[in-house]
Amino acid sequence: MYDAVRIRRYLRRMDFVSAGAMIILIVVGVLFVYSASYRSADQPVSPFYRRQIVWGLLGLGLFLWLIVSDYRGARDIAWWFYAVCMVLLVAVLITGKRVYGAYRWLNIFGLQLQPSEPAKLATIIALARYLGRPGLRVSEWRTVLTGLALVLLPAVLIIREPDLGTAAVFLPVGLVMMYVAGVPVRIIGFILLAGLLLMPLAWLELDDYQKERILVFFDPARDPLGAGWNKMQSQIAVGSGGLFGKGYLRGTQNVLGFLPRSVAPTDFIYSVIAEETGFVGSVILMGLFAALLTGCVRAALAAPDRFGRLVAVGVAMLIFSHVFVNIAMTVGLLPITGLPLPLISYGGSFMLSVMVALGLTQSIYARRRIR
Amino acid sequence: MRIRLVLGAMLACFLLLVGALWRIQVARGQEYQKNLVRQSVRRIRLPGMRGRIFDRQGRILADDAPSYCLAIYLEELRRPGPWNKTVDRVMELIEKLSGILELPPQLSRRDVERHIHRRLPLPLIAWRNLDERAMARWAERGLFIPGADIYTEATRRYPYGRSACHVLGYVGRASPAGDDSGYYHYYLPEMEGRAGVEKHFDELLRGSAGGRLVRVDVAGFRHDDLGFRAPQAGADLKLALDVEIQQAAEAALGESDGAVVILDPRNGDVLALASSPGFDPNGFVPAISSADWAKLIGNPHKPLMNRALAGRYAPGSTFKPVVALAALENERASPSTRFNCPGYFMVGKHRFLCWYTRGHGMLDMRGALEHSCNVYFYQLGLKCGYPAMYHMAAALGLGRRTGIALDYERAGLLPDDAWKRRVYGDAWRDGDTCNASIGQGPILVTPLQMAVVVAAIANGGRVYRPRLLLGVRKPGSKTFETVAPEVVNDLHFSRRALSVVREGMYAVVMSATGTGRRARVPGLEIAGKTGTAEYGRKGSGLKYGWMIAYAPYRNPRYAVAMVIERAQSGGATTAPRIALLFKRIFGLGGADDV
Repeated sequence: MYDAVRIRRYLRRMDFVSAGAMIILIVVGVLFVYSASYRSADQPVSPFYRRQIVWGLLGLGLFLWLIVSDYRGARDIAWWFYAVCMVLLVAVLITGKRVYGAYRWLNIFGLQLQPSEPAKLATIIALARYLGRPGLRVSEWRTVLTGLALVLLPAVLIIREPDLGTAAVFLPVGLVMMYVAGVPVRIIGFILLAGLLLMPLAWLELDDYQKERILVFFDPARDPLGAGWNKMQSQIAVGSGGLFGKGYLRGTQNVLGFLPRSVAPTDFIYSVIAEETGFVGSVILMGLFAALLTGCVRAALAAPDRFGRLVAVGVAMLIFSHVFVNIAMTVGLLPITGLPLPLISYGGSFMLSVMVALGLTQSIYARRRIR
Repeated sequence: MRIRLVLGAMLACFLLLVGALWRIQVARGQEYQKNLVRQSVRRIRLPGMRGRIFDRQGRILADDAPSYCLAIYLEELRRPGPWNKTVDRVMELIEKLSGILELPPQLSRRDVERHIHRRLPLPLIAWRNLDERAMARWAERGLFIPGADIYTEATRRYPYGRSACHVLGYVGRASPAGDDSGYYHYYLPEMEGRAGVEKHFDELLRGSAGGRLVRVDVAGFRHDDLGFRAPQAGADLKLALDVEIQQAAEAALGESDGAVVILDPRNGDVLALASSPGFDPNGFVPAISSADWAKLIGNPHKPLMNRALAGRYAPGSTFKPVVALAALENERASPSTRFNCPGYFMVGKHRFLCWYTRGHGMLDMRGALEHSCNVYFYQLGLKCGYPAMYHMAAALGLGRRTGIALDYERAGLLPDDAWKRRVYGDAWRDGDTCNASIGQGPILVTPLQMAVVVAAIANGGRVYRPRLLLGVRKPGSKTFETVAPEVVNDLHFSRRALSVVREGMYAVVMSATGTGRRARVPGLEIAGKTGTAEYGRKGSGLKYGWMIAYAPYRNPRYAVAMVIERAQSGGATTAPRIALLFKRIFGLGGADDV
């Protein structure tokens, strides 16, 4: 099954532009995870960056293995995968480890796992399998509601952790997949409207610190040393970068700890990059993500079947939402939500699930019909 | 189709982000940059090294002395988590250092907390003024303790102690106000002149401040130094004072309340200026305790007051040479003008007494000066007229500040008709003139003013502004820039007037019957005039004992004015001190004198 000819054929047919962008992004990620943990030349740098390299290499292996193997295998295990992820999400609520006031981590045989990350992937695959079923009548309410339920189940479980940002990603991903699957625009519009109307209800469900973050977004002076701190400091960091930045390892906000060290290598890695490489660097980074996304969309367009197309679109949307929300919150366009920057932020679960997702899209692209 | 739309929407969103980034990073980047600098950079003011003060022979009167302190560098002791943990660690270190230095801890937990709260990026001074033994123990056992180090702070030292304390003044810890307030975040301790030369020339002595830019991290600890501007040292000052003469003057005053000023009549140099009692300016370094301060302030003898220029005394008979000069220069009398002294003098119905109630008999001007006859001077004063006396006194600088380079100088009081009308609502009468002729009444002078007067008599009429500052040496320069003597007024006394006044004053000391004969020093020709002025309530018996003098008679180099409070008389109390003073100055004391 994995003979050399086959391996070479599929690897040759992968999207090299997209893969190149991906590799560069991983390298940039390692560099800036290092920079974000850097204090000065005579102080030891925390080992985050070394672990990030390990995660990157592991992810790369998965990525290559997925290109060679058929993505349709994912369709076969879709429900199992989905079910396992849901069980883990429930388990994390019961036994999870508390970090910064939320239960997000699960300890499995000594490995720290964040089940919400594979859950994103599982939901995309399950939804793609459901919507990709031949003969499905996409304009029927029953179809739409089932699809919605598939998306909302993990989202609600994750809200309970509570991790609002991650939960919020599920909705756009689900909606865009439905849109591409052919669900009429009026139905999608209706769902959005219903969501907006339910917002005040959701407000009541939020924890105080979540409310505070949203309030702070609208009024940063509200609590400049508490909830407003990260936003203000990341904005100062980004702003002080200027056109060309201060140079690698020269970002003062980060070095001096004005950007909290707990979030600098993870959710706020972008402000470190923006401070040290300036506007030019930030735009190049956006260009790399744009190339990556274009690759995913190219895979969706070239996909040999509906399942593949929907998976590729789901992955594209997943990555896009993360990138957009992460950067938008760093520059102060959105409230602070703890969403990592794909391929860059420090974190194993997310790195692996993004690499698997990209491997799947490459696998789809590699099996395109060649005219 | 829908897929392409999705991609388009995604890329449009990215463009939106690029727009936002442009706005923050490029369009408003400067603003954020400033914000960043404001947030993490602290300016620390570094005081300049204070200039030194020398006497005319180059002896150091006020010096900068390093004071060794033990400093704790908090950034090396920081502990994550609550501040208490860092404070704990600092307290542990202080405990440990206390064992090494064998000094009791001087900082409480509260002090450390306050330092963290107010001056975190600066080293915390745990002990000041370490002595040699503590320094040796440190060198032996403490050198490699992280977070602690020796730190030098400049302090002031006055090697001659109480000597010339009123001239030198003292320093105190400067308040961090001033024109640059607000520019600096932190101030290092700095000295500020509070009295005397230290105060008057504070700006010259202080130099200009430098600064250090320190970057702090989010917790406020020092992270690194960004920049440094060296402070400029202050200028050195050379005073006209001669420490040996100053000490002789102080010895002459002894324990009595009083003052003495010695000028060089050739140029107005202030060779000595002493006031008693005094204080030790070293007691003000680095700061005076409130108990000691209260003692100084509460002392009825007012040790902080410089009697030489802020004490106002009736001049008594030392004013008589001025009257004589006024009468002679205005040609209202001649050296041979004679008056009879029966022991009293009637003005209208009022009887004015001579101090020698049996009467001096017939006297000429020279004799009147020698015997300090009041009755002669009542009559001479009336003959001369008060306006002429007033103008002569004013020309000699009475009633006006001499302009010496020291603060708190008083002008004294030279009354006139207008003054009397204003204060008493009455015209100036002959009785007032009689009183003024013997230096009594409302007239008040300072010892410094009388020294200027006697110097003018010695030098032929040049009224100098007393020169206290001889030279200024700017930092980096090897030589002192000289300050020229300043003649305020040149009266060009006539030979005739000068000779009779000088001869009279000569007789005061040198004649066997002179009132100042106790000032005599073997082998030295001295001219002088004693004075005894009553003060306090009538009949209280309180007297100021005055003596003005100059020597050597033929080539005067020293002009002296001395006043002693609660004296018996000028001739009995002050004259012997003048003798003591000249003996020491001329080095004439010794075996043959005993």
